[in-house]
Amino acid sequence: MKKKLFFSIFTAGALAGGLLSTKAIAQTEELSPEEEIRLVQEFNRMLAEGINPGEVWYEVGKDAIKKYNLDKCDLGLGPGVFKGAAAQLPRYFADAGKVMDLETRVGWCLQKHAGMTQDQVLKFVRQCWGKTGNCVSEYDGIIMYLTMESNGHKINVNLKDPRVKKMYDLGKQVYYARIGPWDFNCATCHAGKQEVRIRATRLWSADRPGEAGNAVAIFPKYLVRWGLPMTMHYRYAECIRQMRWPEFIPHSDLAVALSTYLYATGNGTEIKAPGIGR
Amino acid sequence: MKKTLFIAGLSVLVFGTAEAQQKKAQPKKEQPSTKQEDVMQVLNSGLSTDPRFAWKIQQDEAQRICSQYPSREVMPGQAIQKVIQLSQADIRYPQWGIFWGDWREGKKIVDNPRGGRFASYGFSDSPTDRGGNCYACHLIEKGLPGGTMGPNLYQYGKRWNITKENMNTPEALERVKIVYNIIYNSWSAFPCSSMPRFGHNGALSPEDVMNIVTFLLHPDSPVNK
Ligand code: HEC
Ligand code: HEC
Repeated sequence: MKKKLFFSIFTAGALAGGLLSTKAIAQTEELSPEEEIRLVQEFNRMLAEGINPGEVWYEVGKDAIKKYNLDKCDLGLGPGVFKGAAAQLPRYFADAGKVMDLETRVGWCLQKHAGMTQDQVLKFVRQCWGKTGNCVSEYDGIIMYLTMESNGHKINVNLKDPRVKKMYDLGKQVYYARIGPWDFNCATCHAGKQEVRIRATRLWSADRPGEAGNAVAIFPKYLVRWGLPMTMHYRYAECIRQMRWPEFIPHSDLAVALSTYLYATGNGTEIKAPGIGR
Repeated sequence: MKKTLFIAGLSVLVFGTAEAQQKKAQPKKEQPSTKQEDVMQVLNSGLSTDPRFAWKIQQDEAQRICSQYPSREVMPGQAIQKVIQLSQADIRYPQWGIFWGDWREGKKIVDNPRGGRFASYGFSDSPTDRGGNCYACHLIEKGLPGGTMGPNLYQYGKRWNITKENMNTPEALERVKIVYNIIYNSWSAFPCSSMPRFGHNGALSPEDVMNIVTFLLHPDSPVNK
Protein backbone atom coordinates (compact mmCIF):
# COMPACT_ATOMS: atom_id res chain seq x y z
CA MET A 1 0.00 0.00 0.00
CA LYS A 2 2.84 2.37 0.89
CA LYS A 3 4.13 2.06 -2.65
CA LYS A 4 1.26 4.18 -3.84
CA LEU A 5 2.32 7.06 -1.69
CA PHE A 6 4.81 8.22 -4.27
CA PHE A 7 1.98 10.00 -6.00
CA SER A 8 2.50 13.68 -5.69
CA ILE A 9 -0.25 16.16 -5.13
CA PHE A 10 0.20 17.09 -8.73
CA THR A 11 -0.52 13.54 -9.78
CA ALA A 12 -3.72 13.71 -7.78
CA GLY A 13 -4.66 16.93 -9.44
CA ALA A 14 -3.79 15.56 -12.84
CA LEU A 15 -5.71 12.38 -12.20
CA ALA A 16 -8.74 14.29 -11.16
CA GLY A 17 -8.18 16.93 -13.78
CA GLY A 18 -8.00 14.34 -16.51
CA LEU A 19 -11.28 12.85 -15.46
CA LEU A 20 -13.93 15.42 -15.89
CA SER A 21 -12.29 18.30 -17.68
CA THR A 22 -12.38 19.48 -14.15
CA LYS A 23 -13.40 22.81 -12.85
CA ALA A 24 -12.75 23.61 -9.24
CA ILE A 25 -16.06 25.38 -9.19
CA ALA A 26 -19.65 24.74 -8.39
CA GLN A 27 -20.66 21.28 -9.48
CA THR A 28 -23.83 19.99 -10.95
CA GLU A 29 -24.51 16.39 -10.13
CA GLU A 30 -26.06 15.48 -13.41
CA LEU A 31 -23.23 14.21 -15.59
CA SER A 32 -23.48 13.74 -19.32
CA PRO A 33 -23.60 10.08 -20.47
CA GLU A 34 -20.06 10.35 -21.92
CA GLU A 35 -18.75 11.65 -18.62
CA GLU A 36 -20.54 8.83 -16.76
CA ILE A 37 -18.92 6.23 -18.99
CA ARG A 38 -15.49 7.77 -18.65
CA LEU A 39 -15.95 7.90 -14.91
CA VAL A 40 -16.89 4.24 -14.62
CA GLN A 41 -13.92 3.24 -16.78
CA GLU A 42 -11.56 5.34 -14.69
CA PHE A 43 -12.99 3.91 -11.47
CA ASN A 44 -12.66 0.34 -12.73
CA ARG A 45 -9.08 0.98 -13.81
CA MET A 46 -8.17 2.32 -10.37
CA LEU A 47 -9.77 -0.67 -8.69
CA ALA A 48 -8.01 -3.12 -11.01
CA GLU A 49 -4.62 -1.51 -10.47
CA GLY A 50 -5.12 -1.06 -6.76
CA ILE A 51 -4.64 2.68 -7.04
CA ASN A 52 -6.28 4.93 -4.50
CA PRO A 53 -5.40 8.59 -5.07
CA GLY A 54 -6.85 9.31 -1.63
CA GLU A 55 -3.56 8.11 -0.14
CA VAL A 56 -1.86 11.23 -1.46
CA TRP A 57 -3.63 13.15 1.26
CA TYR A 58 -1.73 11.16 3.89
CA GLU A 59 1.43 13.07 2.96
CA VAL A 60 -0.45 16.36 2.84
CA GLY A 61 -1.70 15.64 6.33
CA LYS A 62 1.71 14.68 7.69
CA ASP A 63 3.08 18.11 6.74
CA ALA A 64 -0.02 19.94 7.92
CA ILE A 65 0.19 18.32 11.34
CA LYS A 66 3.61 19.87 11.85
CA LYS A 67 2.55 23.17 10.37
CA TYR A 68 -0.46 23.51 12.70
CA ASN A 69 1.24 22.19 15.86
CA LEU A 70 -1.05 19.19 15.96
CA ASP A 71 1.72 17.00 17.34
CA LYS A 72 0.49 18.49 20.62
CA CYS A 73 -3.03 17.26 19.93
CA ASP A 74 -4.32 14.57 22.29
CA LEU A 75 -6.77 12.18 20.67
CA GLY A 76 -7.19 10.31 23.93
CA LEU A 77 -3.98 8.29 24.07
CA GLY A 78 -1.70 11.25 24.89
CA PRO A 79 -0.37 14.26 22.95
CA GLY A 80 0.92 13.25 19.54
CA VAL A 81 0.09 9.56 20.04
CA PHE A 82 -1.82 8.74 16.88
CA LYS A 83 -1.35 5.01 16.23
CA GLY A 84 -4.74 3.43 16.86
CA ALA A 85 -6.11 6.64 18.36
CA ALA A 86 -8.85 7.19 15.77
CA ALA A 87 -10.18 3.68 16.42
CA GLN A 88 -11.26 4.52 19.98
CA LEU A 89 -13.16 7.65 18.98
CA PRO A 90 -15.64 9.14 19.76
CA ARG A 91 -14.73 9.35 23.45
CA TYR A 92 -15.12 11.74 26.36
CA PHE A 93 -12.43 14.43 26.75
CA ALA A 94 -12.06 15.92 30.21
CA ASP A 95 -10.17 19.00 28.95
CA ALA A 96 -13.10 19.94 26.71
CA GLY A 97 -15.79 18.50 28.98
CA LYS A 98 -17.40 16.85 25.98
CA VAL A 99 -17.66 13.71 23.92
CA MET A 100 -15.93 14.30 20.59
CA ASP A 101 -15.35 12.38 17.40
CA LEU A 102 -12.14 12.59 15.39
CA GLU A 103 -13.03 15.61 13.30
CA THR A 104 -14.53 17.58 16.17
CA ARG A 105 -11.43 16.87 18.26
CA VAL A 106 -9.14 18.03 15.46
CA GLY A 107 -11.17 21.23 15.28
CA TRP A 108 -10.73 21.70 19.01
CA CYS A 109 -6.97 21.15 18.67
CA LEU A 110 -6.76 23.64 15.80
CA GLN A 111 -8.25 26.25 18.10
CA LYS A 112 -6.03 25.24 21.01
CA HIS A 113 -2.70 24.68 19.28
CA ALA A 114 -2.92 26.59 16.00
CA GLY A 115 -4.69 29.65 17.35
CA MET A 116 -7.61 29.41 14.96
CA THR A 117 -11.03 30.79 15.83
CA GLN A 118 -14.06 28.59 15.48
CA ASP A 119 -15.04 30.39 12.28
CA GLN A 120 -11.59 29.91 10.83
CA VAL A 121 -11.77 26.22 11.66
CA LEU A 122 -15.13 25.87 9.89
CA LYS A 123 -13.74 27.62 6.81
CA PHE A 124 -10.71 25.34 6.90
CA VAL A 125 -12.98 22.28 7.09
CA ARG A 126 -15.19 23.32 4.18
CA GLN A 127 -12.45 24.57 1.92
CA CYS A 128 -13.08 21.98 -0.79
CA TRP A 129 -16.77 21.32 -0.21
CA GLY A 130 -18.77 21.48 -3.40
CA LYS A 131 -15.58 21.54 -5.48
CA THR A 132 -14.27 19.02 -7.92
CA GLY A 133 -10.64 18.37 -8.75
CA ASN A 134 -7.54 20.45 -8.14
CA CYS A 135 -8.69 21.23 -4.63
CA VAL A 136 -6.37 19.90 -1.97
CA SER A 137 -7.44 20.65 1.55
CA GLU A 138 -4.97 20.41 4.42
CA TYR A 139 -7.88 19.56 6.68
CA ASP A 140 -8.79 16.55 4.55
CA GLY A 141 -5.09 15.63 4.71
CA ILE A 142 -5.01 15.83 8.50
CA ILE A 143 -8.10 13.64 8.84
CA MET A 144 -6.71 11.21 6.28
CA TYR A 145 -3.37 10.98 8.08
CA LEU A 146 -4.90 10.49 11.51
CA THR A 147 -7.35 7.87 10.26
CA MET A 148 -4.75 5.93 8.29
CA GLU A 149 -2.61 5.77 11.44
CA SER A 150 -5.39 3.51 12.74
CA ASN A 151 -5.57 1.26 9.71
CA GLY A 152 -5.79 -2.34 10.85
CA HIS A 153 -7.11 -1.35 14.28
CA LYS A 154 -10.64 -2.32 15.19
CA ILE A 155 -13.24 0.32 16.00
CA ASN A 156 -13.69 0.30 19.74
CA VAL A 157 -16.08 2.94 21.08
CA ASN A 158 -16.43 2.68 24.85
CA LEU A 159 -20.15 2.49 25.52
CA LYS A 160 -19.46 1.66 29.18
CA ASP A 161 -18.72 5.34 29.70
CA PRO A 162 -22.17 6.80 30.49
CA ARG A 163 -21.30 10.10 28.75
CA VAL A 164 -20.50 8.23 25.56
CA LYS A 165 -23.62 6.09 25.99
CA LYS A 166 -25.73 9.23 26.30
CA MET A 167 -24.35 10.55 23.01
CA TYR A 168 -25.03 7.15 21.45
CA ASP A 169 -28.66 7.25 22.60
CA LEU A 170 -29.07 10.79 21.29
CA GLY A 171 -27.50 9.80 17.99
CA LYS A 172 -29.84 6.87 17.66
CA GLN A 173 -32.85 9.08 18.22
CA VAL A 174 -31.59 11.67 15.78
CA TYR A 175 -31.22 8.80 13.30
CA TYR A 176 -34.97 8.22 13.53
CA ALA A 177 -36.11 11.86 13.80
CA ARG A 178 -38.38 12.75 10.89
CA ILE A 179 -37.96 16.42 10.13
CA GLY A 180 -37.79 18.81 7.23
CA PRO A 181 -39.92 19.53 4.19
CA TRP A 182 -39.33 16.05 2.73
CA ASP A 183 -39.97 14.14 5.98
CA PHE A 184 -36.69 12.24 5.86
CA ASN A 185 -34.72 10.65 8.64
CA CYS A 186 -31.46 8.74 8.28
CA ALA A 187 -33.43 5.52 8.56
CA THR A 188 -35.37 6.36 5.38
CA CYS A 189 -32.29 5.38 3.43
CA HIS A 190 -30.11 3.48 5.90
CA ALA A 191 -32.35 1.04 7.81
CA GLY A 192 -34.40 -2.06 7.15
CA LYS A 193 -33.62 -5.69 6.44
CA GLN A 194 -34.48 -5.47 2.77
CA GLU A 195 -31.85 -4.16 0.39
CA VAL A 196 -32.97 -1.11 -1.61
CA ARG A 197 -31.49 1.14 -4.23
CA ILE A 198 -31.86 4.86 -4.69
CA ARG A 199 -31.65 5.19 -8.43
CA ALA A 200 -28.68 2.96 -9.16
CA THR A 201 -26.97 3.28 -5.76
CA ARG A 202 -27.29 0.45 -3.29
CA LEU A 203 -27.84 1.79 0.23
CA TRP A 204 -26.26 0.38 3.41
CA SER A 205 -28.47 -0.33 6.39
CA ALA A 206 -27.93 -0.05 10.13
CA ASP A 207 -30.21 -3.08 10.51
CA ARG A 208 -28.08 -5.45 8.47
CA PRO A 209 -25.14 -6.82 10.49
CA GLY A 210 -21.76 -5.32 9.68
CA GLU A 211 -22.97 -2.71 7.23
CA ALA A 212 -22.74 0.36 9.48
CA GLY A 213 -19.19 -0.65 10.43
CA ASN A 214 -18.20 -1.18 6.82
CA ALA A 215 -19.70 2.18 5.87
CA VAL A 216 -17.75 4.23 8.42
CA ALA A 217 -14.49 2.24 8.55
CA ILE A 218 -13.47 3.34 5.05
CA PHE A 219 -13.76 7.09 5.67
CA PRO A 220 -12.29 9.38 4.45
CA LYS A 221 -13.40 7.87 1.15
CA TYR A 222 -11.90 8.99 -2.16
CA LEU A 223 -14.58 9.94 -4.69
CA VAL A 224 -13.44 9.50 -8.26
CA ARG A 225 -16.11 11.84 -9.63
CA TRP A 226 -14.99 14.71 -7.46
CA GLY A 227 -11.29 13.92 -7.39
CA LEU A 228 -11.01 14.33 -3.65
CA PRO A 229 -11.52 12.46 -0.41
CA MET A 230 -14.72 12.95 1.49
CA THR A 231 -14.48 13.06 5.27
CA MET A 232 -17.26 11.73 7.48
CA HIS A 233 -18.60 15.21 8.24
CA TYR A 234 -18.73 16.05 4.55
CA ARG A 235 -20.70 12.82 4.03
CA TYR A 236 -23.15 13.87 6.76
CA ALA A 237 -23.49 17.26 5.08
CA GLU A 238 -24.24 15.66 1.74
CA CYS A 239 -26.83 13.24 3.11
CA ILE A 240 -28.43 16.11 4.99
CA ARG A 241 -28.51 18.18 1.81
CA GLN A 242 -30.30 15.27 0.10
CA MET A 243 -32.71 15.25 3.03
CA ARG A 244 -33.57 18.91 2.40
CA TRP A 245 -32.70 19.80 5.96
CA PRO A 246 -30.99 23.15 6.61
CA GLU A 247 -27.27 23.05 5.92
CA PHE A 248 -25.17 20.87 8.20
CA ILE A 249 -22.59 22.40 10.55
CA PRO A 250 -19.45 20.29 11.00
CA HIS A 251 -17.99 19.67 14.48
CA SER A 252 -21.43 20.16 16.05
CA ASP A 253 -23.02 17.98 18.71
CA LEU A 254 -25.20 16.65 15.89
CA ALA A 255 -22.09 15.36 14.12
CA VAL A 256 -20.75 13.83 17.34
CA ALA A 257 -24.08 12.17 18.14
CA LEU A 258 -24.29 10.62 14.67
CA SER A 259 -20.68 9.46 14.81
CA THR A 260 -21.12 7.96 18.26
CA TYR A 261 -24.13 5.99 17.12
CA LEU A 262 -22.60 4.84 13.83
CA TYR A 263 -19.06 4.03 15.01
CA ALA A 264 -20.29 2.25 18.14
CA THR A 265 -22.67 0.23 15.97
CA GLY A 266 -19.59 -0.62 13.93
CA ASN A 267 -17.50 -1.68 16.94
CA GLY A 268 -15.12 -4.47 15.96
CA THR A 269 -14.80 -3.43 12.32
CA GLU A 270 -11.24 -2.94 11.10
CA ILE A 271 -10.38 0.56 9.87
CA LYS A 272 -9.38 0.59 6.20
CA ALA A 273 -8.93 4.14 5.00
CA PRO A 274 -9.13 5.51 2.43
CA GLY A 275 -12.07 3.84 0.80
CA ILE A 276 -12.77 4.54 -2.82
CA GLY A 277 -16.00 5.07 -4.69
CA ARG A 278 -17.31 6.58 -7.87
CA MET B 1 -46.48 -7.19 2.75
CA LYS B 2 -46.36 -3.91 0.85
CA LYS B 3 -49.63 -5.01 -0.72
CA THR B 4 -51.47 -5.60 2.56
CA LEU B 5 -50.39 -2.23 3.83
CA PHE B 6 -51.52 -0.63 0.66
CA ILE B 7 -54.91 -2.23 0.93
CA ALA B 8 -55.17 -1.34 4.58
CA GLY B 9 -54.34 2.24 3.65
CA LEU B 10 -56.97 2.27 0.96
CA SER B 11 -59.65 0.82 3.16
CA VAL B 12 -59.06 3.79 5.40
CA LEU B 13 -59.35 6.13 2.49
CA VAL B 14 -62.49 4.55 1.22
CA PHE B 15 -64.30 3.66 4.41
CA GLY B 16 -62.77 6.19 6.76
CA THR B 17 -61.94 3.69 9.47
CA ALA B 18 -58.77 2.30 10.87
CA GLU B 19 -60.23 -0.67 12.69
CA ALA B 20 -58.36 -3.07 10.48
CA GLN B 21 -55.06 -1.70 11.63
CA GLN B 22 -55.94 -1.54 15.23
CA LYS B 23 -56.23 -5.31 15.41
CA LYS B 24 -53.12 -5.83 13.36
CA ALA B 25 -50.34 -4.22 15.34
CA GLN B 26 -49.74 -4.99 18.98
CA PRO B 27 -49.07 -1.73 20.78
CA LYS B 28 -45.38 -1.57 21.51
CA LYS B 29 -44.22 0.77 24.19
CA GLU B 30 -42.69 3.90 22.81
CA GLN B 31 -39.54 4.21 24.84
CA PRO B 32 -37.28 7.10 23.99
CA SER B 33 -34.25 6.81 26.25
CA THR B 34 -33.67 10.54 26.05
CA LYS B 35 -36.00 13.48 26.17
CA GLN B 36 -37.46 14.82 22.96
CA GLU B 37 -36.19 18.33 23.75
CA ASP B 38 -32.63 16.98 24.02
CA VAL B 39 -32.93 15.40 20.61
CA MET B 40 -34.22 18.62 19.07
CA GLN B 41 -31.41 20.51 20.77
CA VAL B 42 -28.81 18.23 19.24
CA LEU B 43 -30.44 18.64 15.83
CA ASN B 44 -30.46 22.40 16.17
CA SER B 45 -26.79 22.42 17.16
CA GLY B 46 -25.81 21.04 13.80
CA LEU B 47 -28.12 22.75 11.32
CA SER B 48 -27.76 26.20 9.84
CA THR B 49 -29.72 28.96 11.52
CA ASP B 50 -30.12 30.84 8.25
CA PRO B 51 -33.56 32.42 8.78
CA ARG B 52 -34.64 31.47 5.25
CA PHE B 53 -34.54 27.80 6.22
CA ALA B 54 -35.36 27.86 9.93
CA TRP B 55 -38.93 26.69 9.26
CA LYS B 56 -37.54 23.40 8.02
CA ILE B 57 -36.69 22.27 11.54
CA GLN B 58 -40.17 22.75 12.97
CA GLN B 59 -41.30 19.20 13.62
CA ASP B 60 -45.05 18.75 13.10
CA GLU B 61 -47.26 16.39 15.06
CA ALA B 62 -47.32 13.61 12.47
CA GLN B 63 -43.52 13.72 12.17
CA ARG B 64 -43.25 13.58 15.93
CA ILE B 65 -45.35 10.43 16.05
CA CYS B 66 -43.49 8.76 13.19
CA SER B 67 -40.12 9.55 14.81
CA GLN B 68 -40.99 7.33 17.75
CA TYR B 69 -41.08 4.07 15.84
CA PRO B 70 -38.40 2.41 13.76
CA SER B 71 -41.04 1.23 11.27
CA ARG B 72 -44.76 1.18 10.62
CA GLU B 73 -44.88 -2.53 11.44
CA VAL B 74 -44.32 -1.84 15.14
CA MET B 75 -46.63 1.17 15.41
CA PRO B 76 -49.68 0.76 17.64
CA GLY B 77 -53.03 1.14 15.89
CA GLN B 78 -53.82 4.36 17.67
CA ALA B 79 -50.67 6.06 16.44
CA ILE B 80 -51.35 4.86 12.90
CA GLN B 81 -54.88 6.17 13.08
CA LYS B 82 -53.73 9.56 14.37
CA VAL B 83 -51.23 9.99 11.53
CA ILE B 84 -53.85 9.05 8.93
CA GLN B 85 -56.36 11.42 10.49
CA LEU B 86 -53.92 14.35 10.54
CA SER B 87 -52.85 13.62 6.99
CA GLN B 88 -56.32 13.30 5.52
CA ALA B 89 -57.43 16.52 7.13
CA ASP B 90 -54.52 18.26 5.45
CA ILE B 91 -55.24 17.48 1.80
CA ARG B 92 -56.04 20.45 -0.46
CA TYR B 93 -57.31 20.16 -4.04
CA PRO B 94 -56.83 22.37 -7.08
CA GLN B 95 -59.26 25.24 -7.40
CA TRP B 96 -61.31 23.31 -10.00
CA GLY B 97 -61.31 20.05 -8.10
CA ILE B 98 -60.11 16.80 -9.62
CA PHE B 99 -59.51 16.94 -13.37
CA TRP B 100 -57.15 15.52 -15.97
CA GLY B 101 -54.02 17.65 -16.15
CA ASP B 102 -51.08 17.68 -18.55
CA TRP B 103 -48.97 14.53 -18.36
CA ARG B 104 -46.02 16.23 -20.08
CA GLU B 105 -45.86 18.82 -17.33
CA GLY B 106 -46.20 16.02 -14.78
CA LYS B 107 -43.31 14.12 -16.32
CA LYS B 108 -41.05 17.15 -16.01
CA ILE B 109 -41.65 17.37 -12.28
CA VAL B 110 -41.35 13.62 -11.82
CA ASP B 111 -37.98 13.66 -13.60
CA ASN B 112 -36.46 16.68 -11.91
CA PRO B 113 -34.03 15.57 -9.17
CA ARG B 114 -33.72 19.06 -7.82
CA GLY B 115 -36.10 20.90 -5.60
CA GLY B 116 -35.65 21.89 -1.98
CA ARG B 117 -32.08 20.68 -1.97
CA PHE B 118 -29.92 23.64 -1.11
CA ALA B 119 -26.52 24.24 0.44
CA SER B 120 -24.39 27.35 0.30
CA TYR B 121 -21.34 25.38 -0.82
CA GLY B 122 -20.81 24.62 -4.47
CA PHE B 123 -23.89 23.04 -5.92
CA SER B 124 -26.08 24.68 -8.48
CA ASP B 125 -29.43 23.81 -6.92
CA SER B 126 -31.55 26.79 -6.18
CA PRO B 127 -34.16 26.99 -3.44
CA THR B 128 -36.87 27.59 -6.03
CA ASP B 129 -36.30 24.43 -8.09
CA ARG B 130 -39.40 22.23 -8.22
CA GLY B 131 -39.06 18.49 -8.59
CA GLY B 132 -40.27 15.24 -7.06
CA ASN B 133 -37.23 13.10 -7.95
CA CYS B 134 -39.67 10.20 -8.06
CA TYR B 135 -37.41 7.82 -9.98
CA ALA B 136 -34.90 7.89 -7.11
CA CYS B 137 -37.33 5.55 -5.36
CA HIS B 138 -39.55 4.20 -8.16
CA LEU B 139 -39.27 2.47 -11.49
CA ILE B 140 -41.76 4.41 -13.59
CA GLU B 141 -41.30 4.06 -17.34
CA LYS B 142 -40.20 0.95 -19.14
CA GLY B 143 -36.50 1.04 -19.89
CA LEU B 144 -35.70 3.99 -17.64
CA PRO B 145 -33.63 3.43 -14.50
CA GLY B 146 -35.23 3.88 -11.11
CA GLY B 147 -34.83 3.01 -7.45
CA THR B 148 -36.41 0.18 -5.51
CA MET B 149 -37.31 1.88 -2.26
CA GLY B 150 -40.89 2.36 -3.47
CA PRO B 151 -43.04 0.04 -5.57
CA ASN B 152 -42.72 -0.22 -9.35
CA LEU B 153 -45.15 2.23 -10.97
CA TYR B 154 -44.86 0.93 -14.51
CA GLN B 155 -48.33 0.77 -16.13
CA TYR B 156 -49.80 2.27 -13.00
CA GLY B 157 -52.90 3.54 -14.84
CA LYS B 158 -53.69 0.06 -16.09
CA ARG B 159 -53.45 -1.21 -12.55
CA TRP B 160 -56.19 1.23 -11.61
CA ASN B 161 -58.15 0.10 -14.65
CA ILE B 162 -58.22 3.53 -16.28
CA THR B 163 -59.02 3.35 -19.98
CA LYS B 164 -59.79 5.85 -22.74
CA GLU B 165 -63.44 4.78 -22.50
CA ASN B 166 -63.96 5.09 -18.75
CA MET B 167 -61.52 7.85 -17.83
CA ASN B 168 -64.14 10.56 -17.39
CA THR B 169 -66.69 8.52 -15.45
CA PRO B 170 -67.25 9.46 -11.81
CA GLU B 171 -65.87 6.07 -10.75
CA ALA B 172 -62.61 6.64 -12.60
CA LEU B 173 -62.27 10.18 -11.27
CA GLU B 174 -62.78 8.78 -7.76
CA ARG B 175 -59.74 6.54 -8.35
CA VAL B 176 -57.81 9.52 -9.72
CA LYS B 177 -58.58 11.26 -6.45
CA ILE B 178 -57.22 8.36 -4.40
CA VAL B 179 -53.92 8.58 -6.27
CA TYR B 180 -53.95 12.36 -5.89
CA ASN B 181 -54.26 11.88 -2.13
CA ILE B 182 -51.31 9.47 -2.09
CA ILE B 183 -49.02 11.93 -3.82
CA TYR B 184 -50.28 15.06 -2.09
CA ASN B 185 -49.90 13.45 1.33
CA SER B 186 -48.57 9.91 1.21
CA TRP B 187 -49.12 9.46 4.94
CA SER B 188 -52.90 9.66 4.42
CA ALA B 189 -52.66 6.18 2.88
CA PHE B 190 -49.27 4.90 4.09
CA PRO B 191 -48.70 6.43 7.52
CA CYS B 192 -45.04 7.32 8.15
CA SER B 193 -44.00 6.09 4.70
CA SER B 194 -40.55 7.05 3.49
CA MET B 195 -42.31 8.80 0.63
CA PRO B 196 -42.33 12.57 1.29
CA ARG B 197 -45.65 14.38 1.76
CA PHE B 198 -45.09 16.53 -1.29
CA GLY B 199 -48.25 18.62 -1.11
CA HIS B 200 -48.42 18.91 2.64
CA ASN B 201 -44.93 20.37 2.81
CA GLY B 202 -45.48 22.71 -0.10
CA ALA B 203 -42.77 21.09 -2.20
CA LEU B 204 -45.41 20.66 -4.93
CA SER B 205 -48.60 22.63 -5.58
CA PRO B 206 -52.02 21.01 -6.05
CA GLU B 207 -51.71 21.68 -9.81
CA ASP B 208 -48.27 20.00 -9.88
CA VAL B 209 -49.74 16.98 -8.14
CA MET B 210 -52.65 16.88 -10.58
CA ASN B 211 -50.23 16.84 -13.53
CA ILE B 212 -48.16 14.09 -11.92
CA VAL B 213 -51.26 11.98 -11.34
CA THR B 214 -52.13 12.50 -15.00
CA PHE B 215 -48.65 11.33 -15.97
CA LEU B 216 -49.08 8.16 -13.90
CA LEU B 217 -52.66 7.33 -14.91
CA HIS B 218 -53.49 8.79 -18.33
CA PRO B 219 -53.87 6.19 -21.10
CA ASP B 220 -51.71 8.33 -23.42
CA SER B 221 -48.86 8.69 -20.94
CA PRO B 222 -45.64 6.71 -21.62
CA VAL B 223 -46.10 5.15 -18.17
CA ASN B 224 -49.04 3.15 -19.56
CA LYS B 225 -47.53 2.19 -22.90
C1 HEC C 1 -32.33 10.31 0.63
C2 HEC C 1 -31.48 9.21 0.97
C3 HEC C 1 -30.51 9.33 2.13
C4 HEC C 1 -30.72 9.76 3.41
C5 HEC C 1 -32.03 10.20 4.02
C6 HEC C 1 -29.46 9.63 4.12
N1 HEC C 1 -28.51 9.13 3.27
FE1 HEC C 1 -26.62 8.56 3.79
N2 HEC C 1 -26.26 7.98 1.86
C7 HEC C 1 -27.15 8.11 0.81
C8 HEC C 1 -26.49 7.77 -0.42
C9 HEC C 1 -27.11 7.77 -1.82
C10 HEC C 1 -25.14 7.44 -0.07
C11 HEC C 1 -24.00 7.05 -1.02
C12 HEC C 1 -23.80 5.59 -0.99
C13 HEC C 1 -22.63 5.20 -1.90
O1 HEC C 1 -22.04 6.07 -2.53
O2 HEC C 1 -22.33 4.00 -1.90
C14 HEC C 1 -25.05 7.58 1.37
C15 HEC C 1 -23.90 7.30 2.11
C16 HEC C 1 -23.79 7.43 3.47
C17 HEC C 1 -22.62 7.04 4.24
C18 HEC C 1 -21.32 6.48 3.67
C19 HEC C 1 -21.43 5.10 3.14
C20 HEC C 1 -20.40 4.82 2.08
O3 HEC C 1 -19.98 3.67 1.97
O4 HEC C 1 -20.02 5.71 1.33
C21 HEC C 1 -22.89 7.32 5.55
C22 HEC C 1 -21.99 7.07 6.74
C23 HEC C 1 -24.23 7.89 5.60
N3 HEC C 1 -24.74 7.92 4.33
C24 HEC C 1 -24.86 8.35 6.75
C25 HEC C 1 -26.11 8.97 6.75
C26 HEC C 1 -26.67 9.63 7.92
C27 HEC C 1 -26.01 9.72 9.27
C28 HEC C 1 -27.89 10.12 7.54
C29 HEC C 1 -28.84 10.96 8.32
C30 HEC C 1 -28.37 12.18 8.91
C31 HEC C 1 -28.09 9.74 6.16
N4 HEC C 1 -26.98 9.08 5.71
C32 HEC C 1 -29.25 9.99 5.43
C33 HEC C 1 -28.48 8.46 0.91
C34 HEC C 1 -29.10 8.95 2.05
C1 HEC D 1 -37.93 8.59 -0.65
C2 HEC D 1 -38.65 7.65 -1.43
C3 HEC D 1 -39.79 8.04 -2.34
C4 HEC D 1 -39.94 9.11 -3.18
C5 HEC D 1 -38.95 10.26 -3.44
C6 HEC D 1 -41.21 8.94 -3.83
N1 HEC D 1 -41.82 7.82 -3.38
FE1 HEC D 1 -43.65 7.11 -3.99
N2 HEC D 1 -43.51 5.61 -2.61
C7 HEC D 1 -42.43 5.35 -1.81
C8 HEC D 1 -42.73 4.21 -0.98
C9 HEC D 1 -41.78 3.57 0.04
C10 HEC D 1 -44.03 3.80 -1.30
C11 HEC D 1 -44.83 2.64 -0.70
C12 HEC D 1 -45.74 3.16 0.36
C13 HEC D 1 -45.44 2.58 1.70
O1 HEC D 1 -45.62 1.37 1.88
O2 HEC D 1 -44.99 3.32 2.58
C14 HEC D 1 -44.51 4.70 -2.34
C15 HEC D 1 -45.76 4.61 -2.95
C16 HEC D 1 -46.16 5.36 -4.02
C17 HEC D 1 -47.42 5.19 -4.74
C18 HEC D 1 -48.49 4.15 -4.43
C19 HEC D 1 -48.06 2.87 -5.10
C20 HEC D 1 -49.09 1.78 -5.10
O3 HEC D 1 -48.74 0.64 -4.82
O4 HEC D 1 -50.27 2.07 -5.42
C21 HEC D 1 -47.44 6.12 -5.75
C22 HEC D 1 -48.52 6.33 -6.79
C23 HEC D 1 -46.19 6.88 -5.65
N3 HEC D 1 -45.44 6.39 -4.60
C24 HEC D 1 -45.84 7.92 -6.50
C25 HEC D 1 -44.72 8.74 -6.30
C26 HEC D 1 -44.48 9.97 -7.06
C27 HEC D 1 -45.32 10.46 -8.20
C28 HEC D 1 -43.34 10.52 -6.54
C29 HEC D 1 -42.67 11.83 -6.88
C30 HEC D 1 -43.47 13.01 -6.97
C31 HEC D 1 -42.86 9.62 -5.49
N4 HEC D 1 -43.74 8.58 -5.39
C32 HEC D 1 -41.70 9.83 -4.77
C33 HEC D 1 -41.25 6.04 -1.77
C34 HEC D 1 -40.99 7.23 -2.47
